Amino acid sequence: MNGYAGNILDINLTTNEIKIKRLDPQFAKKYIGGIGFNARFLYDEVPAGADPLGEENILVFSTGALVGSPFPTTSRTEASAKSPLTNGFGTSNSGAFWGMQLKNAGYDSIIIRGKSDKPVYIKIINDNIEILDAASLWGHDSWETVEVLKKKYYGCEVAQIGQGGENLVKFANIENGYFGGWGRTGLGAVMGSKLLKAIVVKGTKGIRPKDPKGLLEISKEGQDLIASAGSYQAFCEYGSMNAVIPYGNFKALAAHNFTKGVVPDWKENYGKQVCDEYSNRHIACQSCNIACAHWVEIKEGKYKGLKVKDMEVTPTIAWGINAGLPLEDTIKSGELCRRYGVDMVSSAGAIAFAMQIFEEGILTTEDLGYELKFGDAEAAFKLLEDIIYRRGIGDLLADGVKIASEKLSAEEYAVHVKGLDLPQMDVRRRWSVWAFGMLTNIRGGDHLRCRNPVENLRFNENTPDLAKEKFGFKKPMYDKLDMPEDLKAEAIDLESDMTDIAKMSKWSEDLINLSNSIGLCIRPPVMEKVGPTILSRVYQLYTGINITPEELMKAAERGWNLAKMFNIKHGEKFEDIKFPERFYKEELFGSVLDKEKSNNVLKDYLIARGWDTETSRPTEEKLAELGISFEGKGM
Amino acid sequence: MNKENFIVVDYMKCVGCGTCEMVCSLSHEDICSPTLSRMRVVRQEREGYNVPITCSECEKPACLNVCPVGAISRDKDSGMVVVDAYHCIGCRQCVRACPFGHMSYNFEKKTAFKCDLCGGDPQCVRFCWMKAIEYKPMDQMSGEKRLEAAIKKIEAINRD
Repeated sequence: MNGYAGNILDINLTTNEIKIKRLDPQFAKKYIGGIGFNARFLYDEVPAGADPLGEENILVFSTGALVGSPFPTTSRTEASAKSPLTNGFGTSNSGAFWGMQLKNAGYDSIIIRGKSDKPVYIKIINDNIEILDAASLWGHDSWETVEVLKKKYYGCEVAQIGQGGENLVKFANIENGYFGGWGRTGLGAVMGSKLLKAIVVKGTKGIRPKDPKGLLEISKEGQDLIASAGSYQAFCEYGSMNAVIPYGNFKALAAHNFTKGVVPDWKENYGKQVCDEYSNRHIACQSCNIACAHWVEIKEGKYKGLKVKDMEVTPTIAWGINAGLPLEDTIKSGELCRRYGVDMVSSAGAIAFAMQIFEEGILTTEDLGYELKFGDAEAAFKLLEDIIYRRGIGDLLADGVKIASEKLSAEEYAVHVKGLDLPQMDVRRRWSVWAFGMLTNIRGGDHLRCRNPVENLRFNENTPDLAKEKFGFKKPMYDKLDMPEDLKAEAIDLESDMTDIAKMSKWSEDLINLSNSIGLCIRPPVMEKVGPTILSRVYQLYTGINITPEELMKAAERGWNLAKMFNIKHGEKFEDIKFPERFYKEELFGSVLDKEKSNNVLKDYLIARGWDTETSRPTEEKLAELGISFEGKGM
Repeated sequence: MNKENFIVVDYMKCVGCGTCEMVCSLSHEDICSPTLSRMRVVRQEREGYNVPITCSECEKPACLNVCPVGAISRDKDSGMVVVDAYHCIGCRQCVRACPFGHMSYNFEKKTAFKCDLCGGDPQCVRFCWMKAIEYKPMDQMSGEKRLEAAIKKIEAINRD
């Protein structure tokens, strides 16, 4: 096979069986890779009602189809399992170099099933695959683990868990080397439940493209295309930190457990200019021509000598503004979370929740053993440690804010959708495709699966019925947007300068699902410029499989629908699709979210998706149109 | 091919994306494989440095000197050190001798390989969007360095 490695690795940790299956080209074309493969595997293999931390759950890693190529920003690998945090489709996408090594070793996917009876790690070096004892690694943090394994296997990449995953913290990450990670839905706890400490990969086989010269030239075209995006220079310089100032100006920051919209001096303390002070260079993922990550060094003070890849908008807002920590403590949290191996949004979310209920008197100094106020880094890090080692209140919070708030009778303070903590932006203050996407996201309250490819952060305007947001660009931007013309005309009205939130959300979700299937990054310059048309050409040059842009988008939609069907199979109800009640009730600088109006947008979205407006289930017609059937295993 | 040109690497600019490795192996071997790339990026992750390593075209090439069958020579026209794959016996003495770890070995073809500057249009340079890898004459590089240093000196004087 060209482009793909051509093999699926299947490892059973209960029986220690290692199987290698050939990848069927028909299956590859139908699901592309990444989340597409994972959705199919998970739907077929995880029985309804399975315990996410039990033997029946499977953990799957699938590389994107274009991983291993020089086409820019194709480094990404999707990891998925039933989530212990949401009980639904747990999934996460990570870049860096692990996926490239896995593919070079000869595998597109790894399926891990069962449960080991003692701590182990998996070593994959080309055809040499072993399940090895990890007793000496267990209990060590994620960085210590990488250090030992990288020394032992030169040139390898490591996916590992820290103490968070070992102790089944339900928002534990699988870390991807020192500075990457599969975050959010608690996949680290799934790995920990299997007593799997790490997966070491190293490959030297290479990937043979169908058309080497064509691939080389289209990769250059891709670089130039991304570099032509309006947001390119800004992203090269400040990465995602660009977003702090517009959201601060809108008073739409997730501040003090979503009660404030801003904190004092937010611009001075967390605005993008702080990067200039702490960072003088950037770090990239495989084949990327943006390098959004900042290399940060603290030169003096209590964290003198701290070096970390940091300053991304989401963790900065989570720890700096939602939990209220000073900037240098926020940078420190980046190290702590990576060492422990926990999600930076959910850990800060759990702590911010605890801070608010401490303020409200629901939690007391007696409960905790210490005071817990917004902005108190020492207390926050103590609580983080209590969460990681499941001590006292930390043990409750380690199950996530949904469960913890139910046990503490403090549901009204828990900010999540379907159990997943909401990140960075308060939707009451800026309603948009991006905001709406946090409601319909397949993995719960999260901002990364729906992003308008032509979002204009200079504006914050909606129609009174909340159905539309301002488009705010000139016609050339509209003309260049790679989207079917009829759909584009429906989603964007140039005359009124408005974008239809429901219709654009459906397109955006499918577009991101395509990225997560094909292995492409979703940074704004990429989303704006690299659409299904050029991707279909790259896919053909790499794999030799003929595909149209329409077929690619259908495959992406197929994956999204399968993930939705997974959620329904595992008990998701229509009523679960809602923001925290306080968003509909409590004003933030005069704004509340109108429940009826936002539910109307949801209805429009369900219609655009071809899903039942009463139950949100994909209709039989939609499933038939996408060629999704549930008989057989699809392999 | 311009004899004066050579590959210049700026470690402070390299972000470690490894695109150079992919395009090098792709253009030489029709495969995407960092292992078969002439340019290799060493990632010092905990220090945040990325160092691309390629052939230095040494004046006293250890690889050339150690080759027992004379398969490595200096090309008269380009001035480059070249491996004659036909005469290479695959003993890997050159791989061990190279002080920079640049000389590599292709296990499939059973021969040593090194940078050939792509006949004067190095693909690593073409794709290095950070301009961390450049291909230019020696005096151009030193000239640019001198200019940079001069600007800093003037700035310092103006500050006083």
